[in-house]
Amino acid sequence: MSDAADHSALHCAACAGQCHYAPDRRALECLSCGEVYDLATPDDHLAAQEFPHDPNQTDDDPPILNTAQGHQCRNCGGEVMFTGPALSEACPYCNGPMVLHNGDAGYGTMALVPFQVTVAQAQGAVHRWATSRIAAPGDLGGIVAQASVAGLYAPFWTFDSREALEYWARYTSGSGDNRRTHSTKGRMDVVFDDLLMPASPHVTPLIRDGILHDFDPGALRPYRAGYLSGFAAERHHQSVAQGLVANAPDKDLLIRNKIKQKVAKRGVHSIRYLTDTTGIHYRRILLPVWILHYTYGGRAKKIVVSGIDGRTYGERPFSIWRMAAYSAAFTAAAMALGVFWGAAGLL
Amino acid sequence: MIEHSAPLLAGLALFAFSTLIGVMPMRKLIEVREAQHELRAGSASRLRQITGWTIIAFWLMTVWFLSTILGDWTVGGDLDGAIARSWLRLRILLEIAAALGEQ
Repeated sequence: MSDAADHSALHCAACAGQCHYAPDRRALECLSCGEVYDLATPDDHLAAQEFPHDPNQTDDDPPILNTAQGHQCRNCGGEVMFTGPALSEACPYCNGPMVLHNGDAGYGTMALVPFQVTVAQAQGAVHRWATSRIAAPGDLGGIVAQASVAGLYAPFWTFDSREALEYWARYTSGSGDNRRTHSTKGRMDVVFDDLLMPASPHVTPLIRDGILHDFDPGALRPYRAGYLSGFAAERHHQSVAQGLVANAPDKDLLIRNKIKQKVAKRGVHSIRYLTDTTGIHYRRILLPVWILHYTYGGRAKKIVVSGIDGRTYGERPFSIWRMAAYSAAFTAAAMALGVFWGAAGLL
Repeated sequence: MIEHSAPLLAGLALFAFSTLIGVMPMRKLIEVREAQHELRAGSASRLRQITGWTIIAFWLMTVWFLSTILGDWTVGGDLDGAIARSWLRLRILLEIAAALGEQ
């Protein structure tokens, strides 16, 4: 649970050259002589360990002062650390200029999932994603091709919990004059397992759900400098209580959806519930992402590629003319059907 | 002459207005399609992105309904009669819209 990564391990034992983590080899590789060092240890499985949290107890998870210098972006305020031979020291979140700043108080990272997607694969994934957008401007692919991706370990939480719910809801039945509103109530248990939550304001829940579909705790590895070498990494700055608060809107939406499914009636509304939350377990982890920044129409946008499996999602512009063309086609179809219907004297 | 071309002019006006108004529902349609294909099934973001899809149905139902009056008007040449005959369709559409609104 320490950020004290061993930087001495980043030099090649054969030629003393700098090493970086090579996603295609899943190992540390010397940039000078090409020697490869496997980072696996017999204790790697321990990285998937979860930690209990009791919200009624005082905080036993104090922040740790990081003595190493970090980099802070002048544009967005993002704080990251660069380990080993970083390819770029521009802000991975917004591409802004970064300045050195002294260590700050953060929280220890428990584990990370190493990069498995190379920069070339990420660049290709971004290009494919951008050029496959419906009703996107014609020049989007060219603009995205001019930008390049930056590798970053972004901070995430995983949360487990068991919710004992008591709920009340309303639903409707019938139609017209027979339309009725009914009340219902019940109890149910909901179990959340490894609910992923971004611990950085730069990675939104929308991007999380776009790129992280199948989180496998078995892919977690201990926090080591070797995995970070060549990439930027953002530290954790949230306490567990703050993480739970940030996770609350997502959990609330998922619980309401579960209640709707349980009621299984048409027009379920006015849902209220009380929950007794137990069994909270968490991990503070880093997940690998490739981020590409581009500007379209004066607006900064980003496309993010999962460093685990290459799944891609991001922000995209729309072409007003192409949307108008689609709108005209749908309008023509609806009008043709309507005119035929009316002319035939149907209903 | 004007009397015969009135349904056509009204149709063109409806087409232009619906095309303009339809840009917003088209954007929603694309966002919903992308959410269904690219966001994790059952995730909070997917639920949020899909919310509001009924605007697409409302837009198309409105265009279809107004077009049925145009079709009736074109054949019968009687706008008042076409409107009068459309009330049952409107009532059914409102029932459908109410059901969609509850989604």
